[in-house]
Amino acid sequence: MRTNYRTNSGVRFRMLSDDQLQELFDGVLHVLEYIGLEVKHEHAREVLKKAGAWVDGDRVRLPSHMVKDALAKAPRSFTVFARDGNPEHDIHIGPGRAHFGPGPTCVNFIDVETMERRPYQLSDVPYVAKVVDSLPNIDFCESLGSVDNVPYDLSALYEFAEMFRHTTKPIVAWSFDYYDSNAIHRIAVEEAGGQDAFEKRPTYIHYCEPLSPLISTTDSLNKLVFAAEHRIPLVFTPCPLAGGTAPVTPAGIIIQAAAESWMGLTIAQNIQPGNPFIMGGVLSVMDMSAMILSYGAPELSLMMAGITELAHFAGLPLWQTGGCTDSKTFDEQAITEGSMSVFFSALTGGDLCHDVGYTESAMTGSVFQLTAMDEAIGYARRITRGIEVNEDTLAVDAIHRVGPNGHYLKDEHTLRYYKSEYWLPNLIDRTSYEDWVINGENSFKDRTKARVHKILANYEQVPLKPETETLIDEVLAEAEEWVKQQEA
Amino acid sequence: MSDTLSAISTMIIEGNFVDIMDKTNAALEEGLGAEELLNNGLMPGMDHVGVEFKAGNMFVPEVLRSAKAMQESMDILRPILADTGIETAGKIVLGTVKGDLHDIGKNLVGMMCEGAGFEIIDLGKDIEPEAFVEAVKQHKPNILGMSALLTTTMRTMDRTIKALEEAGVRDTVKIMIGGAPVTQDFANQIGADGYAANAASASDIARQFTG
Repeated sequence: MRTNYRTNSGVRFRMLSDDQLQELFDGVLHVLEYIGLEVKHEHAREVLKKAGAWVDGDRVRLPSHMVKDALAKAPRSFTVFARDGNPEHDIHIGPGRAHFGPGPTCVNFIDVETMERRPYQLSDVPYVAKVVDSLPNIDFCESLGSVDNVPYDLSALYEFAEMFRHTTKPIVAWSFDYYDSNAIHRIAVEEAGGQDAFEKRPTYIHYCEPLSPLISTTDSLNKLVFAAEHRIPLVFTPCPLAGGTAPVTPAGIIIQAAAESWMGLTIAQNIQPGNPFIMGGVLSVMDMSAMILSYGAPELSLMMAGITELAHFAGLPLWQTGGCTDSKTFDEQAITEGSMSVFFSALTGGDLCHDVGYTESAMTGSVFQLTAMDEAIGYARRITRGIEVNEDTLAVDAIHRVGPNGHYLKDEHTLRYYKSEYWLPNLIDRTSYEDWVINGENSFKDRTKARVHKILANYEQVPLKPETETLIDEVLAEAEEWVKQQEA
Repeated sequence: MSDTLSAISTMIIEGNFVDIMDKTNAALEEGLGAEELLNNGLMPGMDHVGVEFKAGNMFVPEVLRSAKAMQESMDILRPILADTGIETAGKIVLGTVKGDLHDIGKNLVGMMCEGAGFEIIDLGKDIEPEAFVEAVKQHKPNILGMSALLTTTMRTMDRTIKALEEAGVRDTVKIMIGGAPVTQDFANQIGADGYAANAASASDIARQFTG
């Protein structure tokens, strides 16, 4: 019998030491206490002032005890649920659990049939949601685009309705402002069976983005306040550019981004103590030739690993980034950049890794990149699952049975373990040259495309409740009316 | 004399914006003309920077320091050039449109265009159509540049152009637009004169407009 046995089945990865993490943590508190942020939201400033913040015009500084208090209130572990009660689609956020999903608001989309780049349309949302729903390693849904062919102010709302219809996996919903946040929430609450039921089993996460450097914008806080008041789990994620809108050094950008996110955390926890909060943001370098925010740079993965470790040190889950690329097309660059960042993100255990399927530096969404990355995530997850060591996996009995000069092919031990110990590829080809020729000499790209089309052909919808469908129609009709009034 | 001009070119290439004002004043005292300083000192320096940037040998932080040096020197030369009736590159009014607080791209465009010798009037961010109209009336720029990062705020560019039309000043300026979601199609659709995919091409387009 073993005693005091320590199990480390998973791959252990850690970049920063405790001392370094403490220095980063103290750096964030310094920025919040001595520099502060512009908080462009009167109600949020009042909430903060009442809780002990120093408010001078728009500028708000937070004493570090306020930030620590907010960190103590926010949960490290919580669950976001599948809308249909399918436990396999629930996301349990907590230590050692990395989840993956697409990103929002690309301008363009790679057409599912022609594979050509064009503006993102409403009819693309179901494609993305169906693919997300079907891929085994994609855990949450975003739409990979902002819809071009509906009224601008309603694009997030239309998008949410279409995602909600076509996947039961949890959704991360962006929105413009208060109006569409409320409309989206009405739809989710209807399906849940009321606000109380939603709070017990939230089915979506609300996404808000402050501005770097150091501004909590009015619209981001309208959304954050709405989410906190309705106890909706929320992501508050800045998108700083190292060397542009943030310091060029990884340590510098990490503390600035954390300060930007924690201002939101402090507001949210003072409105709704214990509201699930996912720390951001997306950290990468501004390419100093192309002048873009790079989604394929090694610095992205490195900085994201650093901020993930800081988040976990502070007791928060993190909004990770990976599976994305600067490439314009489905090529070797796209797969290299996407696979490397997916693997690195999986190693960090960053809690929700988004932007899987982004191409062209976040300008163009692609379900092909997403599907290829599902394969890379499966590959990465097999490695991060690690090696289990126990009496049965040591296989001493099996080695006794087979002995020298035998084989394990028919042994019960092989039969018992091969399916769980092996990762089974979907897209990667390991056939012989002859079989590959017989199968049509397909490339990885061909197989990815075929898989997307197969998923779309075989997809079976789990419908929303009829009353939710009715409400969606009502909400969209009201929203169209609201837009007309706004324009008038 | 050519030593002075070459020293000024070098200061531009090295991005030495601290010493270039003294050097510019000293060159004027030596008797060099403002036009000569511009054409044979500053511009060759900036041209070199442009070539090296496109070749991937210089990067944005260096280019912006060169542009800053150019601007410091031009602040001294511009009034002299104006008095003697010599045309400079021109004037650009810039701003990020109403509702948008993202201004790193617009700032880059401003600095790149300064490097090309333009005078920049930067209105800042979150700029109302009416404020653009006022600025066009007041500053009489050659070019109006508008920037947006968000798809929601992009359409404010359309409103701004309409406001300029209503005020009767649309045809007094060339309008160029840019920002991540902006495309050539969108520029055509709203009747802008030019679209730039990045800050370097913005300065090229500005030069074409005034050249």
